[in-house]
Amino acid sequence: MANLLCDERDVKFVLYEQLNIEELCESEKYSEFSRETFDMVLDAAVKLAEKEIWPTNADGDQKGVILEQGAVKVPESFHNAYRLYCEGGWSLLAVPPDMGGQGFPSVLNCAAVELFSAANQAFMMYPGLTIGAARLIEKYGTEDQLREYMDRMYSGEWAGTMCLTEPQAGSDVGALRTKAVKNPDGTYKISGGKIFISAGDHDLTENIVHMVLARVEGAPPGTRGISIFIVPKKRVENGELVDNDVICAATEKKLGIHASATCALNFGEKDNCIGYLLGAENEGMRIMFNMMNEARLAVGIQGLAQASAAYMHALRYAKERVQGPEIHALKDPTAPKVPIIYHPDVRRMLMWMKCVTEGIRALIYYAGYCEDRIHAAKSEEEAAKYQGFLDILIPICKSWSSDMGFRVTELAIQVHGGYGYCREYPVEQFMRDSKICSIYEGTNGIQALDLVGRKLAVKQGALFKSIVAETGNLLKNASKNYRLKDIVEPFAQARSQLVEVTRYFGLKSITEDFMIPVLYASPYLELFGDLAVGFMLLWQAVIADRRLEEIYNDAKADTPEKKAEVLRTNRSAAFYRGKVASAQFFSNTFLSLSKGKARAIMSGERSAIDLPEESFALF
Amino acid sequence: MKSLVCMKQVPDTETQIKVNSQGTGIVTEGIKYIINPYDEFSVEEALRLKEKFKQGEVVILTIGPDRCTESIRTALAMGADKGIHINDESLNSADPFVVAQALAAAASQVDYNVIFCGHRAIDDDFAEAGAMLAELLQIPQVTLVTKVEVSDDKTKAIVERDVEGGKETVEVSLPCVLTSQKGLNEPRYASLPGIMKAKKKPIDKKTAADLGITAEARLESREYSMPPERKAGKKLEGMEPPDAAKELVRLLRNEAKVI
Ligand SMILES: Cc1cc2nc3c(=O)[nH]c(=O)nc-3n(C[C@H](O)[C@H](O)[C@H](O)COP(=O)(O)OP(=O)(O)OC[C@H]3O[C@@H](n4cnc5c(N)ncnc54)[C@H](O)[C@@H]3O)c2cc1C
Repeated sequence: MANLLCDERDVKFVLYEQLNIEELCESEKYSEFSRETFDMVLDAAVKLAEKEIWPTNADGDQKGVILEQGAVKVPESFHNAYRLYCEGGWSLLAVPPDMGGQGFPSVLNCAAVELFSAANQAFMMYPGLTIGAARLIEKYGTEDQLREYMDRMYSGEWAGTMCLTEPQAGSDVGALRTKAVKNPDGTYKISGGKIFISAGDHDLTENIVHMVLARVEGAPPGTRGISIFIVPKKRVENGELVDNDVICAATEKKLGIHASATCALNFGEKDNCIGYLLGAENEGMRIMFNMMNEARLAVGIQGLAQASAAYMHALRYAKERVQGPEIHALKDPTAPKVPIIYHPDVRRMLMWMKCVTEGIRALIYYAGYCEDRIHAAKSEEEAAKYQGFLDILIPICKSWSSDMGFRVTELAIQVHGGYGYCREYPVEQFMRDSKICSIYEGTNGIQALDLVGRKLAVKQGALFKSIVAETGNLLKNASKNYRLKDIVEPFAQARSQLVEVTRYFGLKSITEDFMIPVLYASPYLELFGDLAVGFMLLWQAVIADRRLEEIYNDAKADTPEKKAEVLRTNRSAAFYRGKVASAQFFSNTFLSLSKGKARAIMSGERSAIDLPEESFALF
Repeated sequence: MKSLVCMKQVPDTETQIKVNSQGTGIVTEGIKYIINPYDEFSVEEALRLKEKFKQGEVVILTIGPDRCTESIRTALAMGADKGIHINDESLNSADPFVVAQALAAAASQVDYNVIFCGHRAIDDDFAEAGAMLAELLQIPQVTLVTKVEVSDDKTKAIVERDVEGGKETVEVSLPCVLTSQKGLNEPRYASLPGIMKAKKKPIDKKTAADLGITAEARLESREYSMPPERKAGKKLEGMEPPDAAKELVRLLRNEAKVI
């Protein structure tokens, strides 16, 4: 089987040709690395993903998790994959060396995690949550906490979770009720119930370290009174692991990621659950906030990963499935039947999937790269610039990727026709698994509010202005190339539409009509996402066009026929041609709609809010 | 326990091969290269032997252009100790005899208990280099090996090999050449710490002159061409079964000429 998880050529294009990550190696922090080590890491990731993780995907989907006598069992096949994942040291890829990690750039981690998640999203929840939890301890833990928990979590010996959600506290985390009472020895007694906890219980590791948000007795209500605790499933007492009174009461039956245990956890039913404070009391939200970018980017990667696998599978299917004659021969029953990739409507779907997947990939990797540039920055100014890009792009990386990624998986089913709807082909699983990405880690609705309510407002819109300026630089550069005119014009249009809508929001937010930006936050995020992805694809087109012209020149291909011959025989040429086409298709099908999308927002249409509840429907 | 592993870099099995327009070779641009899968078994077996004896060395020996460094590094990341990279225009795409000569010359400059080769390379499929190498070094060889057990004193090995329809177990004195077959083992994956360590392991670069050999090809490749595309099949439609059967026999006899 060819690699049907992701287009490795495109991954390398983003890393080396667009972002030029080799340049990062010039900085002290990444000086140990080179293109050669990056390539070796990617190759090793591809191999593990394809040969060991992917074969567990359908198996996990069909078997799901089993809850027996308060203990969760994951599918048998996960154990071997997990062992190999840990032995390979994959959790440590981007962890700083002083914490025992390999210290690779985050952008490379994005690429590796994309591969692993494409191979099996549910499986990746276990190491993924563990890393998230360990990162918290890394940043805020005491030396003892690092040694006791973090080391074991990074090695994969113990797992981790994030426990925020409660029945009444989903999007509204501030409403949580889990309680912490201080013991004389400085530890806390934890009691309460959490729901929807991913990887909440399982048999991959002997212990699980829960990061639990709870309210210390007497703390203020709302988010200001939240603290965060390390609550292990088994606590260490006199060098031994003893039960810490954390019970898995139920696992959810759900649409996708069947093999990821989504648990209801009860803490302290027997009044014997001990928690250890992380950081200071009432600092819980601030601490979580600092980890938010990383976690949201991780969900964006999941959206990308499912889209990527779905596109690759659909493409292969379209080349193999024979149905009907070519359009020109529709009426001739004797005409030869052709693979469905000959049919324009199928090609349209494939093009859509291609450019969206590639656009998301570039955007996500760019966010990872911004993180690296912050770490490698030569000045505070430079660090602040990339921090700004990252902060404003994160809600887009999370939401646009998960929404559009989902649509890519849905189109993959469409390309497969009836077969795609059936279990026999993996695309329906991609779609089911993908759907969760728009829901957890802050629903996409909440992301849109974060963008409009918080990120736009930062320093009187400074973040927005700087990203718009960055797109302006590219525009100036790209405008010099007449061959890119078709891409540049819709891009420039979309850019000014976004600026206009943002200004409109600014005006509305200082008048009595502040509900409009709230109401249209999601469509605004979509418009912003279109431009952000358009930005990435145009950037890529500038590079790809130049490379393609070089190849044509080298081959002295100066006629359409000769160029066609080059495209047929030269793999790079074919690839670059595809890159330019992605940008072109995206500009003309997405960005050209921005005017309409902007008008829809600026109509200020209010029926959704003004309509009395009774009028939605009678029941 | 010292093993010398002869390892070749080949195009990935997934690569769609294209012949260049002059018909002198394949289009190498944009190809993904991997370690010849049979050589990967060799690397793994050599590592296991070293682990079993708790001492020794695994040396990777490769002939090929610059890009082969990547494969050598991958083997080093799996745990091999050092590499020898013979990179010489006159050898890089030489015939099996010249290759075996170069391997033999390099082998005689190092210490080994066993030399591993893949039983064949999946690109040109000659399956000759290993056998020739043993002849040139005048040491025994066992081909198509699926199990290796080396005696504690390292003077002999009990080796299981594939034969038509079954297995054969032979005893061989060391040093010898073993050519690896599928089923020998499951190669390990390169780990991240392994990759980082591999960067610092030595790779000796050598040319034909360093080995003191002058290559004289025994084989000349004249032309590369793709296998002819399979012609569309013929369907016998709208016929009664007895007529269809008759027609089928006629076609098999007169057109396909198989009966
Ligand atoms: C499979 C799965 C795994 C999960 N894993 C974890 C985990 O590991 N840890 C954890 O803590 N949680 C986890 N969750 C919980 C998840 O984060 C929440 O489901 C999510 O935050 C939404 O909360 P809710 O389900 O209560 O929905 P609600 O908050 O009730 O939201 C319902 C709808 O209302 C909208 N909405 C709510 N409030 C507002 C508002 N103020 N403004 C605008 N719109 C609003 C939402 O966008 C959504 O569309 C998981 C959930 C699932 C399904």
